[in-house]
Amino acid sequence: MNPIRKKRLYSILFVFLFSISGVSLILYSLNSNLDFFFTPTELKNNDIPPEKRIKIGGMVLEGSVERNGSEISFVITDYENSIQVIFEGIVPDLFQEGSGVVALGFINNKIFYAKEVLAKHDENYMPPNIDIKK
Amino acid sequence: MIIEISHFLSLLATGLFFLVGLFSLFVTSNSYTSNLISRTYSQAFLLLFSSFLIYVWLAVTDNFSVEYIANHSNSALPVFYKVSSIWSAHEGSMFLWIVFLSIWGFIFNIAINNNEILKPKTVGIISFILVGFLLFLLLTSNPFITILPIAPDNGADINPVLQDPALAIHPPTLYLGYVGFVIPFAASLAFLINGDSSIKWEKLIRKWSVMAWVFLTVGISLGSWWAYYELGWGGYWFWDPVENIALMPWLAATAFIHSLSVSIKSSHLRIWTILLSILVFSLSLFGAFIVRSGIIDSVHSFANDPQRGLYLLAFIGAIIAASVFLFVSRFSMINSSNNIPNLSKESFISINNILFGTLIFSIMLGVTYPLFYEYLFDQKISVGAPFYNAIFIPIVILASLFLFFSVDSKWSRGITIDMFKKPIILSITLSIISVIAISFIFKTKDIFILLSIFAGLLIISRYIIEIWKYIFNKKYLNFFSVVAHLALGLLLISISFNSLLSSERALNIKLNQYEEYKDMKVYFNNIQLIKGSNYDAVKASFNIEDSSGNNFNLSPEKRRYFTRGQITTETAIYITPIKDIYLTIGDQLDDGSWIVNIQINFFIRWIWFSAALMSFAGIMLIFSRKRI
Repeated sequence: MNPIRKKRLYSILFVFLFSISGVSLILYSLNSNLDFFFTPTELKNNDIPPEKRIKIGGMVLEGSVERNGSEISFVITDYENSIQVIFEGIVPDLFQEGSGVVALGFINNKIFYAKEVLAKHDENYMPPNIDIKK
Repeated sequence: MIIEISHFLSLLATGLFFLVGLFSLFVTSNSYTSNLISRTYSQAFLLLFSSFLIYVWLAVTDNFSVEYIANHSNSALPVFYKVSSIWSAHEGSMFLWIVFLSIWGFIFNIAINNNEILKPKTVGIISFILVGFLLFLLLTSNPFITILPIAPDNGADINPVLQDPALAIHPPTLYLGYVGFVIPFAASLAFLINGDSSIKWEKLIRKWSVMAWVFLTVGISLGSWWAYYELGWGGYWFWDPVENIALMPWLAATAFIHSLSVSIKSSHLRIWTILLSILVFSLSLFGAFIVRSGIIDSVHSFANDPQRGLYLLAFIGAIIAASVFLFVSRFSMINSSNNIPNLSKESFISINNILFGTLIFSIMLGVTYPLFYEYLFDQKISVGAPFYNAIFIPIVILASLFLFFSVDSKWSRGITIDMFKKPIILSITLSIISVIAISFIFKTKDIFILLSIFAGLLIISRYIIEIWKYIFNKKYLNFFSVVAHLALGLLLISISFNSLLSSERALNIKLNQYEEYKDMKVYFNNIQLIKGSNYDAVKASFNIEDSSGNNFNLSPEKRRYFTRGQITTETAIYITPIKDIYLTIGDQLDDGSWIVNIQINFFIRWIWFSAALMSFAGIMLIFSRKRI
C-alpha cells in the first residue's frame, strides 16, 4: 500500500473508532439515566430494586392524603392496585384527591419515596396518555 | 366581512410566493428576471403583511366572530394582551411564524442588490418554504374561520400564565430567531445550485446569521426567566423537551457562526459551514414539528392533531431530503483539498464543531429515544436532567479548555503553542489558586463544579490579559469574540456557583409565628383573600430578617382565574446582586399552618446577564462598520 493511502486508512480508522466510542459512551449514559414509568399494576408485576429511580403515575386515592409536618403521604392507584407514597415539600397547585398525579422517586419495602410530584395538567412536563382505568 | 379580506389576502400572497419560486427556477443571469423576482416577492410580502395587520386590528377591536380570537381573547384584556393573544395558541402563532419568515425574506430582498448572483435563487427558495407553511396554515390550522351567524358576546380569555410581559415577547423573539436561519439556509442552497465555488456566499449572510442567533439567544433566555418567576419553577433550566428543542438549533447556530468566520477567511471548513446552515434550519423546523404535532406533552405543546404532525413531518422531510441531496451531489465542488494546519485557529474551530455536534446528537437522542422506546416496547420512559448533565458538563469543560488554548493560535498557521508563555502560565496559576481557595471556603470537593469554575476562570483571565495587551501594547483584538467568550466564562462560573450554593426547603408556618431557615427568620404576618379583575387570590405576607439585620417583606399569592378555573402560583422574589430569595405558598394544613417553600438562588441573575452579554456581542458585530 502506498504511504498516502496508508495514512488515509489510519485516519479513517481513527475517526471511526473515535466516533464509535463516543456514541457508546453517550448511549451508556442514556441507558443509566432513563426513568421508567409504571402504573401501580405494572409495579406489582415488576420487581424494582430500591436504588432504581422510576416514575409512577395514577390517581390520588380519595381520602388517602395525610399531612405530617411538611411531609405528605398519599396513595396512588389505578383502581386495581395501589401504592403508598411519601413526599416532603410542596405539592403542585393541581394536586388533589381523585385527580391524576405522577411521582418520581425510589421504591423501598412497598413504599414509594418521591423526590418530585407532578400533578396532571400541571405546567411541568409529564409523560403523555397516562392510561387510567376507572 | 373584514376577516374574509384578511383571509383572501393570505391566499393571494400564497399564490404570488409560488410564482416567485417558479420564476427563480428559470432565472438566468438576466437582470430582467432578477428584478421581476425581487418585485414580485415584495408585493407578495405586502399582501401577507396587510393580512396580518388586519388580523391584529380585528383582535384589538374584539371581533369575536373570528373563532380563534373568540377562543383566546377577551374584551376585558388590555390592548397589549389582546395583541399577544394572537400567538397564545397554535393557529395564530403559526401565522406569526410565517409572517416573520416573510419579513426576514423581505428585508433581505430590499437590502441586497439585485446584481448579487445568489439573490434570485435565495429569494425563490424562501418563497417556496413560505408556500409550504402557508398551505399548512390554510389547510390544517386556519385562523380565519368564523363563527356564524351569531358571534359570542365575549371571548374565552387568554391563559392566565400567559398574561405576562415577558411571555408576550418571548415567543416572537424566539420565532424571529428560528425563522431567521432561513436566510443562511436558502443562501447556502442557492450557492450549491449555482455550482460556482468561487462565490463568497458566506460573506453575504454573515450578519444575517448573527442577527438570527441574537434573537434565538434572547428568546431562550426570556423563556427561562419567565418559567422562573411566572411558572414558579424556581430555576433557570429544566431540560424540558421544549427547552431542549430550542437549545439544539442554538448550539447548531453557535457552531455555524464560528464555522462561518473560518470559511469567510480561508474557504476552509466549507463542508461544515454548509452542513451546519442546513442543520440549524432543519432543527428549527424539527422544533416546530415536535411542538405542534403534540407528540410530546409540555408547557408549550399545542392540542394534539395527527394531521398537522403528518403534514409538517412530510414538509420538513422533503426540505431536508432536498438539501441533503443537493449537498451530496455538489460535494466535490465544496470539498477543499488543502488540509488545515494543526493547532491553527481553523483546527480549533473544527474541534468546536465536533463537540457541539456531539451535544446536539445527545439532546436529539434524549428527546426522541422515549418516543421510539414506547413505540417498540410499549413501555413509557423519560430522560431527565441526569443524562444531559452527564453529557454536557464534561463536553463544555473540554470545549472551554480548547477555547483557552485557541486564544494563542493563528489563522492558517500551525504554530506550536508555547505552554510556558507568560499569559498562559499566569491564567492557569490564577485559576488554580482561585479554585483551591473556593474549594476551601465553600468546603466542596465536587470535581465537576470545581472544574467548571476553573474553566470559566481560565477563559476570563486569558481574555482580560488580551484586553490588557490591547490597551498597553496596541495588540489586535476581536471585540465581539472577546465579549462573547467573557460571557461564556461568566456563564460557567454563575451556573457552577448556582448549583453549589443554592438551596430550598419547605417550611410549615402558623400565622403570626416564625420559622428559621439558614440565617433567616421568616415571620408570617398576614394572610388575606383578595379579588383581582379576573381572579380570586390568597395573598400571604411574610417578613424576612437575616442575621446581618436586613429586613424585607415578601407577598406570594395563589390565584384562581374565573374564566378557566385555573390555579396559578405568584412567586415573591427578593433580589440582591448575588442571590434571590424566592418564596411560594402551598396549602394550608389541618393544624392551621401553611406550607411555604423558600429557595435561595445564588447567581441566577448572572446566568441571564451572561446570556444578555453574549447577545450584546452579536449586536456589536451587526452594527460594526468593519468590513468582514
